[in-house]
Amino acid sequence: MTTSAAQETPWYFRTTTILIAGCLVAIVNFGIRSTFGLFTLPISTAHQWPRETYSFAIALQNLLWGIGTPLAGMLADRYGSARVLMAGAVLYALGIFGMNYSDSGPLMDFTGGVLVGMGIAMSSFSIVMAALGRLVPPEKRSWAFGLATASGSMGQALFIWPVGQIVSNSGWNAGLTALAFAALVIIPLSIPLLVQNTSKSVQQQGETALPLGKAVAQAFGHRSYLLLVAGFFVCGFQLAFITVHFPPYLAEHGIPKEIAWIAMLTIGLFNVVGAYMSGIIGGRGVKRIPLSAIYLARAAIYTIFILTPISTTSTLLFAASIGLLWLSTVPLTMGLVTVMFGTRYMATLYGFVFLSHQVGSFLGVWLGGRLYDAYGSYDPVWWMSVALGVFAGLVHLPIREHRAEAFAAV
Amino acid sequence: MVGNHKFALGFFGTVLLVWLVGMTLFVRHSALPPEASGTMLAVFEPSTSQDAAVAAIIKSGGNVVKKSGLDFVWVVQSDEAGLAGKLKANGALGAYRELPISPALAGCFAVADAKVEAAFD
Repeated sequence: MTTSAAQETPWYFRTTTILIAGCLVAIVNFGIRSTFGLFTLPISTAHQWPRETYSFAIALQNLLWGIGTPLAGMLADRYGSARVLMAGAVLYALGIFGMNYSDSGPLMDFTGGVLVGMGIAMSSFSIVMAALGRLVPPEKRSWAFGLATASGSMGQALFIWPVGQIVSNSGWNAGLTALAFAALVIIPLSIPLLVQNTSKSVQQQGETALPLGKAVAQAFGHRSYLLLVAGFFVCGFQLAFITVHFPPYLAEHGIPKEIAWIAMLTIGLFNVVGAYMSGIIGGRGVKRIPLSAIYLARAAIYTIFILTPISTTSTLLFAASIGLLWLSTVPLTMGLVTVMFGTRYMATLYGFVFLSHQVGSFLGVWLGGRLYDAYGSYDPVWWMSVALGVFAGLVHLPIREHRAEAFAAV
Repeated sequence: MVGNHKFALGFFGTVLLVWLVGMTLFVRHSALPPEASGTMLAVFEPSTSQDAAVAAIIKSGGNVVKKSGLDFVWVVQSDEAGLAGKLKANGALGAYRELPISPALAGCFAVADAKVEAAFD
């Protein structure tokens, strides 16, 4: 940007403002999402529901988040990220607010499941990253992806405690109302991203001329993209399994509840560092090798953890090391999508990769419970995670890090 | 690249600072009034021994429900009015509503709250 151009650009459309605003959106979006577990008990008790009723709505929410991400991506690629983020914030807030009045399972499925799921998808950091990918110079792109991912990670750590406090002091209704208002904060935060307007899908210099439908079809015919989709499935499987089943696994091994919470917090904090570092590493050159190394390292850490006696020390060491590798896959995966296909359809094409992640998440959570019921132990799923980690480590190696032929710059 | 790291450090540092200030104010607001009873978290100085904490709880007429992950944070219960005030009179930094999440975290913020209170007394 030249000095005169910088002078002409209002402060709220400058790259620094856009970066800050985008990262704050990621914090709010991810922060809110991470608190829904706090409502399981109070909502189920208030409506005299079995745990399954609320849990099903949240499972549906995760599925809708996955399905909604490529759809939201298409809208973002067509109309610009800011508009989609704003619409997503409205859906997110409506869904959360509606949960207050959802006194039956189907109603909770609609508000907490469908509306919130779509709201999360439309206001998530993948939509933010698509905007950043277009607005930030290519040499800073990977760093910006890392920053946005790290912000989302930070949101997870920052929201859980104050929301817990509100639920404890003023009840779950107050907690949900506060979260609904928090979701609306995404609207003003999205304003700086309005500068990136892709209305009418104007083709940018150096980007593909393919229409959206053909671009998606071409991407699914590209071997490296399919390998990336397969690899990201593993990420979802491993992380969702830990998120849901790690605390009960620790309890089973005599680790106090407080240590389990500190372990989850440790994962969140180290995740901020890991995600940021991964963005920097991705900006230095090849992305598939560090991505492969992350999955192989996860497999190694899982193996060491389950083969050694579980103690407070081993739990916290595991939490710190797996935290470093938690969302560190995201900037590299997003970066690879951009390398292969450019930025024009990056929200859509990353959206499909993310859908695979969410299918993996669903299976990680579901199989964790299912196999535990069948074998009385989490060991089969731990070992499955190890095997999948090795698979993902190998599957990323043949990825070709250059622009796909059909997406060659025009 | 150094500029990028400075930007990231500044951003995360500011967010964390705002959050810490907000949380400290939040905890101050959520401290229970002296007349409160029921189940609550009693937070002592981090150097307080387990024996001293239990003695203070018993002296206040409370029952120990459980110890948290930290030796100085205890979940206490009594139906008698004024438990929160008595705990404070017997050496606790403060009493807080029991949280749906880790009492250990509440303890850390309660200690910060006590420091703020001491600074403005």
